[in-house]
Amino acid sequence: MHLPDGLLDPITTIVLWVTVVIILIVAYFRLRSLFQKEESDKIVPYIGVLAAVIFAFQFVNYPIPGGTSGHLVGGTLVAVILGPWASVIILFLILVIQSFFGDGGITALGANAFNMGIIGGIIGFYIVIGLLKIFNKTSMKKEFKVTISTALGSYIAIIFAASICGVELGLAGAIPMEIAISTMIFWHIFIGIGEAMISGFIVLYIYKVKPDLIITKSFIGVT
Amino acid sequence: MMNFKLKNRRILTSILVVLVILLVMIAIGYPLGILSENPDGLERVLIENNGESWLESLSSVWTPFLSWIENNYIAAIIGVVMSVVFTFAIFKFISYRKEKRDNITGAN
Repeated sequence: MHLPDGLLDPITTIVLWVTVVIILIVAYFRLRSLFQKEESDKIVPYIGVLAAVIFAFQFVNYPIPGGTSGHLVGGTLVAVILGPWASVIILFLILVIQSFFGDGGITALGANAFNMGIIGGIIGFYIVIGLLKIFNKTSMKKEFKVTISTALGSYIAIIFAASICGVELGLAGAIPMEIAISTMIFWHIFIGIGEAMISGFIVLYIYKVKPDLIITKSFIGVT
Repeated sequence: MMNFKLKNRRILTSILVVLVILLVMIAIGYPLGILSENPDGLERVLIENNGESWLESLSSVWTPFLSWIENNYIAAIIGVVMSVVFTFAIFKFISYRKEKRDNITGAN
């Protein structure tokens, strides 16, 4: 879902860049609470490793029927592990690195960070929280509550991000709005299955092996 | 000191594991069909509506300085290392700024 340069119109590009910069500034200040609760010596290298994992999964594409492929976005996954504000910054940095390789444009970085980092990270995170509230009423095991909520949250967030990307394409005049939104949603209904499976599996793995690494554990109510 | 070395070794091992998994995925994933080089969802939508040549004709204000790397393995190694270095530097800076501010204000 990496928008290339030269696709979006200047107004959409500027509005999304400004929005992303404001949210990055908010994230910077909100992250202080993360370092208040956790030892920075412990958490910072771990964040680096997690960024490497996300880059690795974004680097490779899995096949989708109909001659299409998809790759992990990982915004919701990182948000569930480290919180939504850390997720926004990590996704932005990964998108910057990818733009060095020509995967996503530099002027389109604002739009890409908005779609994948903000919708995937912040909105995806709160969808997961909402789903967890529902699953907390069931007798399901804690790790499965987190896993299923993460998988479903990632799936919903990716489809939502795809529909917003469709709106951006429509506003840019690249494709008629209704076609852009419907086709983006159509393909991401399939691509989202991979996103949900990878996100759910990684969260389940961390939960089983080292649950302390899920920093949002107390916040998402599964201590 | 010992603890610091052990912690660093764990982190380096984790990064190496990520790198090895990625390189193995590239090496066996494409030939086995587990991975695909087909266009992704967005590219597919753009190609279906406007054609591949239109997508390739989009102009950029800059040439991505690492776009000359066509070897997947080298790009993967450089990308993973850059991801770790960038995020480590930025988050270390944020934690350093927070500690500095806490020391000035006398906060815990």
